[in-house]
Amino acid sequence: MTLNPMKSLTAGVAAAFFAAAAFANPYEKYEGTTIVVSWPALSHFAAAETLVEEFTEETGIEVEIDALQYLKLRDRQILEMSKAEGEYDVVSWVVMWKGEYVSKGLLTPLSEMFTSAALVDPLYDIDDIADAYLQNGGVVGGRKGYLPGRSGALYGIPFGAETSILAYRKDIFEEQGIEVPTTYDELAAAMTQLHEAGIPALTSRGKTGHQVTAAWLLHLAPMGGKIFDDQWNPQVNSPEAVKAAEFLRHIAKTGPVGVETFGFGEAAAAFLQGDAAMHLDSLKIAAMSRNPSLSKIDGNVGYALHPVGSRCGSETGGFAMGIPANAPNREAAFLFIQYMTSKAGDQHMVELGGDPIRISTLKNNADKFPDYLITAEQLPCADPDWRPLIPEWNEINIDVLGQALTQVLTTDDPIQPIMDEANEKLRAIMEREGYYTWANYRADK
Amino acid sequence: MGDASAGTSVAASKPIRDLSTLVPYFFILPAVAIMLAGLLYPVIQAFYLSFYDWKIGTDFEDAPFVGLRHFIRMVGDENVWESIWVTIRFGFWTISIEMFLGVSLALLLEKPIRGASVFRTIFILPLMVSPVVVGLIWRYLFDARVGWINYYLGLIGIEPQVWLGDADLAFFAIVFTDIWQWTPFIFIIVIAGLQALPSEVLEASKIDGANWWQHIFFVKLPMIRSILLIALLMRLIDVFRALEVMYILTGGGPGRSTELLSLHIYNRAFDTQQLGYASAISVLLIAIVTILSLGILKMGNPMKEKTDI
Repeated sequence: MTLNPMKSLTAGVAAAFFAAAAFANPYEKYEGTTIVVSWPALSHFAAAETLVEEFTEETGIEVEIDALQYLKLRDRQILEMSKAEGEYDVVSWVVMWKGEYVSKGLLTPLSEMFTSAALVDPLYDIDDIADAYLQNGGVVGGRKGYLPGRSGALYGIPFGAETSILAYRKDIFEEQGIEVPTTYDELAAAMTQLHEAGIPALTSRGKTGHQVTAAWLLHLAPMGGKIFDDQWNPQVNSPEAVKAAEFLRHIAKTGPVGVETFGFGEAAAAFLQGDAAMHLDSLKIAAMSRNPSLSKIDGNVGYALHPVGSRCGSETGGFAMGIPANAPNREAAFLFIQYMTSKAGDQHMVELGGDPIRISTLKNNADKFPDYLITAEQLPCADPDWRPLIPEWNEINIDVLGQALTQVLTTDDPIQPIMDEANEKLRAIMEREGYYTWANYRADK
Repeated sequence: MGDASAGTSVAASKPIRDLSTLVPYFFILPAVAIMLAGLLYPVIQAFYLSFYDWKIGTDFEDAPFVGLRHFIRMVGDENVWESIWVTIRFGFWTISIEMFLGVSLALLLEKPIRGASVFRTIFILPLMVSPVVVGLIWRYLFDARVGWINYYLGLIGIEPQVWLGDADLAFFAIVFTDIWQWTPFIFIIVIAGLQALPSEVLEASKIDGANWWQHIFFVKLPMIRSILLIALLMRLIDVFRALEVMYILTGGGPGRSTELLSLHIYNRAFDTQQLGYASAISVLLIAIVTILSLGILKMGNPMKEKTDI
């Protein structure tokens, strides 16, 4: 076989041309591809739609969004990701589902993408993303399977992530002469004072199941409690856990009417419509209070750190985005996630009314949004272990704690026996799922 | 010869007659096939699944066979019995009140009176609303903070009630909502039955001197007995199927105070992902509904009466 010098030269020039073209535009290879994104119908994600349009304009990658009510996402995503060939290229999960998704082999490890020089933007700077958000939303493995550690692996990037801060009505606090509470004792005293003045004090979630458990967990970590010890023994009847439940009951007695039926939306609405003096939950309340279509109280809201009990400990939650193992367009999906969570994307999300995930974005915008400084200060206290993100969590969350805490909230029954019973139920679930297998094995030896 | 030819003729005509007996089966074959595919197949699948411990998102081939473990667990599961008790209480109150109101209104409105047709049209509107919308409408009406019910109670000096956050009030709320939606169904069925009654019998009872009460209790209601039984049967089955309205309205809460058996099965299957266990409870649900339906049909099978006529 002989080589034609002219043909070789032409081929070489063509290869060089295409290589140069590839370096010039990392998106070109995927132009015309359509990716399907499954995410929740929440304000942050609605705001992100403008950024999605810009992504399509800049990259040529079309995006179809399947937005669902957030508690309905899991069923839909699991069904889709269980197929041999799925439709979703990107899924956005509530952080508590990540363990289940990975244990079922439904997600792509992002290391597959982060090792590709052609895909990764050198300016992406993953270290700038708040560590609590990244660990909580994206890392699976590590200590206990969901905490940072050497056996952990990255499956998702936070998007719509959050921690908890206190939002309060400046005008009411001033009128009632109440100092902004920094501890749980001060917070409880302020709630009593407001209630006695005829003002509903602190709004909260309280609906049976996930919502009431989330409300209780918000107070459990700062009060020094945990769901399990390091050997997976349940601790929900500890003095700290009972104290957190007592605090929840205090909220119901001094807060707005109907706390027992509130999900996050209803609890936030009570604050935004002026029916409660305080909101202690996700930082998303700040963006919502600035939105005139949602809020009657803009300009009267102050922000403070999540009050401290025996330690500081705010929640880490919200959403992260990743790529299903059966996604048809995994590389284009990665480019989408990278674009949306880049420094520029994060800054643009702030301008669109969303919540940032990067420390630099929080700091750069602190002058404009006072809650950002509080958030940046709060994040080192964000506790990635405030709830166990194990595959069994859904059953524990809804079936056991969600029921026990409803009893706490809607009755005057003594709390300790309620939590003792819940503790036993938790132990039975952990036993059933084999969490004590090794301990029993060693004990028998 | 003649005998032989007659014998041949009988032998030749027999297969033709046999074939003709198959014709009815041929005509009902499509309906039977659809029934088998749409009804029996899922039931058999549910029964099959109840012997496995399968979670959505994992391969069914990997699901361990657990034999009767789910059924044994179900017998000792207080949450299952609690949800059955909630369903029975819910069924008792809703069906009793709906039958009473539906029949009473039909008796009142069977005569052509001014405005009756307008009222009938308005009255059946709840039937046309999808269950999810019914759930949403009443969820907002019962809302403790912004609901109309608390607003109007406030106007007459009654403190706001947490309708959906108190076990007794929430149970009242689901019963009330079901009555609102399904009383028109009883009304329509009964009024159609009343209007189809032969006028000769009614006139005869009048001539015999029956008063208004006797006319209703000894003539009209006995004559529409099979229609009442059909209505009762359909409502009973509906009570055990009811899911959407309760899911939206209360989600089964507070606690498990409004968690009907169907909602309990849903929560087991999709919240806690115990599909095998949820299937086992579904088998129990099917058994309960079948036994109740057979019981009611035994009380007076309307189809049988029709055949007798």
